[in-house]
Amino acid sequence: MTPEIPKEGLAGPAPAERPHPSGRRDARGVRRDADRAVEDSPQRTILSALVEDEPGVLARIAGLFSRRQFNIDSLTVGPTTVQGHSRITLVVEEPRGQIAQIERQLAKLKPVISVGELDDDAVRTEVVLMKVRGQSPADVQAVVAMFDGQTIDAGSASITVQISGDEQTIDDAIDAFDQFGIIEIARTGYTALARGMQPTVPGEKPGTANEPTVPPR
Amino acid sequence: MSKQEHHETESTTEPPTQTGAEAAIEALDAAGVEMIFGVQGGAIMPVYDALFHSDIRHITMAHEQGAAHAADAYGVVRNGPGVCMATSGPGATNLVTGIADANMDSDALVALTGQVPADMVGSDAFQETDTMGVTTPLTKHNYFAHGADEVGAMVGEAVALSTQGRFGPTLIDLPKNATVESTTAETPPPTPPATTIPQRRAPEAAVATAAETIGAADRPLLLLGGGVIKAAATDIARTFARTYEIPVVTTMPGIGSFPEDDPLALSWAGMHGTGYANMAITHTDCLIAVGTRFDDRLTGGIETFAPEATVVHIEIDPAEVSKNIHADIPLIGDAAEVLTQLDRAMTGAPPVDEWREQVQTWKQEYPMDYVQGPDGPLKPQYIVEQLDAATSDRAIVTTGVGQHQMWAAQYWTFTEPRTWVSSHGLGTMGYGVPAAIGARLAADDDQEVICIDGDGSFLMTMQELSVAVREQLDITIAILNNEYIGMVRQWQDAFFDGRRMASEYSWMPEFDALAEALGAKGLRVDTHEEVDEAIAAALAYDGPAVIDFHIDPFENVYPMVPSGGANGRFALTPDQL
Repeated sequence: MTPEIPKEGLAGPAPAERPHPSGRRDARGVRRDADRAVEDSPQRTILSALVEDEPGVLARIAGLFSRRQFNIDSLTVGPTTVQGHSRITLVVEEPRGQIAQIERQLAKLKPVISVGELDDDAVRTEVVLMKVRGQSPADVQAVVAMFDGQTIDAGSASITVQISGDEQTIDDAIDAFDQFGIIEIARTGYTALARGMQPTVPGEKPGTANEPTVPPR
Repeated sequence: MSKQEHHETESTTEPPTQTGAEAAIEALDAAGVEMIFGVQGGAIMPVYDALFHSDIRHITMAHEQGAAHAADAYGVVRNGPGVCMATSGPGATNLVTGIADANMDSDALVALTGQVPADMVGSDAFQETDTMGVTTPLTKHNYFAHGADEVGAMVGEAVALSTQGRFGPTLIDLPKNATVESTTAETPPPTPPATTIPQRRAPEAAVATAAETIGAADRPLLLLGGGVIKAAATDIARTFARTYEIPVVTTMPGIGSFPEDDPLALSWAGMHGTGYANMAITHTDCLIAVGTRFDDRLTGGIETFAPEATVVHIEIDPAEVSKNIHADIPLIGDAAEVLTQLDRAMTGAPPVDEWREQVQTWKQEYPMDYVQGPDGPLKPQYIVEQLDAATSDRAIVTTGVGQHQMWAAQYWTFTEPRTWVSSHGLGTMGYGVPAAIGARLAADDDQEVICIDGDGSFLMTMQELSVAVREQLDITIAILNNEYIGMVRQWQDAFFDGRRMASEYSWMPEFDALAEALGAKGLRVDTHEEVDEAIAAALAYDGPAVIDFHIDPFENVYPMVPSGGANGRFALTPDQL
């Protein structure tokens, strides 16, 4: 027996008359069970991508981050031991689930060979160039020495110094040089490698092997 | 033949040469491409010239958007690549909507675009557009041929990539120098790039966990998406569902993956899906989702989507796993392969007769029905059912986007894969007519091709009807004409206090007369008594026929899950919204 069809619409129990399950999902589509509630706050993560060095590869990656609303803090790119392969190092700040999504989206791009997330103990460094006022060259030199840096240009009006290190070191150096009056700053963002013999991206062949990395299976 | 002679005369002394354009056609040939949909123009002329001696059939469309949609639908029906072609600048930008549509629906569309000579790129030359820039976010990958040497390999790779893993659109931008110049480069067999080879089988341990979870579930449910059809996994999916007696819902692109007249079938879920499909998906405790990306029109609000389900997600694209809905058990691989693995790992049908009965009860409680009053206005649902009844099981339905699309999907009983050809993710009004052209050229002769269109959608691409007449294509276009952008009107009535801003047409063309002017058969129907006769006449006509059905202008689409709402709270009547 078919229930009577209303003049406008369909027959059947109204929403309030139906059973509704009490379960819920969170914004990332994870079922909210008491036994597996996880904190998922954004965390800074370094990703490394081995890519085929073809025209437009950076634009593809930048476009991917923009259209999927992934936050990117810095990006560096440079050649590797293999001709035609480049390494891109990205610093992102996103929740864990989103970082996994970034890695998978990156890996989908045709020129991307392999993507890896670096461990906390990975070796990493950033370079900053700072142009400061030249009135106190001896004092500037002293601070450069404290940070194991280099003076790379000096004149009567300005001195340009180079400091490298982790993010905290760079931030500290900028604070320390502030007393002289900083005219200009340029920071590179992190570049990084996995520690020891561990490959930086999955399946990465050592340069000494003289063979290019192929996508991991 | 001429190509053969060409090779023989030159190969004795030096490597054979051909133009880049000839290499492009050679690569398409090698990839098995039989048809191209396109529009001529300055920068692409060398490629067209190379087609002159080719066996590949070319269909000249009225507009490049039509070329893209026709190629897309051709590919959907053939379950392979569909190829379109256009010139630079406006030719390329007119393709963009079709490329975006293919990208959202994971359709293997290959686009060849002309471009100004490479040394003029960047100079804002005549008909120059940054086609690479425009299409990068809309393609799996796009290619720019710097010179003739690259063309053959690139075209072959682009075609192969379009059907590699998850289907999707690719594009090759061909600057004129690259197609005009000669090359001795050999065109390699079409090969997808090494960086894009997908995992086809899921790890056995994960498969075992999935089988155990399904076996222990109280309320298991299969959700079949468009990926099941793309992976040619409908047979194994059907066997799996029937062997373990698991009820089946599909997504909209998954329509046809499972016969809707099967007792286990609950039709499709989502915003306008059936009440029983939405009840099942809301109450399942084990959702086995295959080849779907959990679009928001399917899930409704994430919070209340299958809120108590352990999700087993079978998917070829790792980036779709846990993107929208967290996969508790991800099984990355080819749908057919992984379902086969899962079948081997299952120990028997889960003992869940209570759930099976519950699902049948919901089918009784929430019937999809309507009243066609004897003297009342013509109901669109009635037209869809009569069209379905008048055609074979393998008839192909194409649609535009809007109310008519929903009625077509709801009231046509689909039983075969690749018989439902529509625009889902992008929601492109105007898809229907060019898609019918592509579908007709891809289909078997005994398959009827019916375009169920809206008046608004038809107005967007109706010029393609001239192509159907020229090519003598046997298609039937049924316009469900309510003289409104009907879905917008429905939303305005529901959510904007009935302010029908820019949704009402104060004048509509006489579509039957227009069809005749374009060289097609034109019919008009105002009452339900005329429906069957008009359908019979249109189907009997050997060529394109248009039936302008003047339907109840205020008929609405139900059930409806309001945007972001809970699937289980679908409205059946306007007051429930």
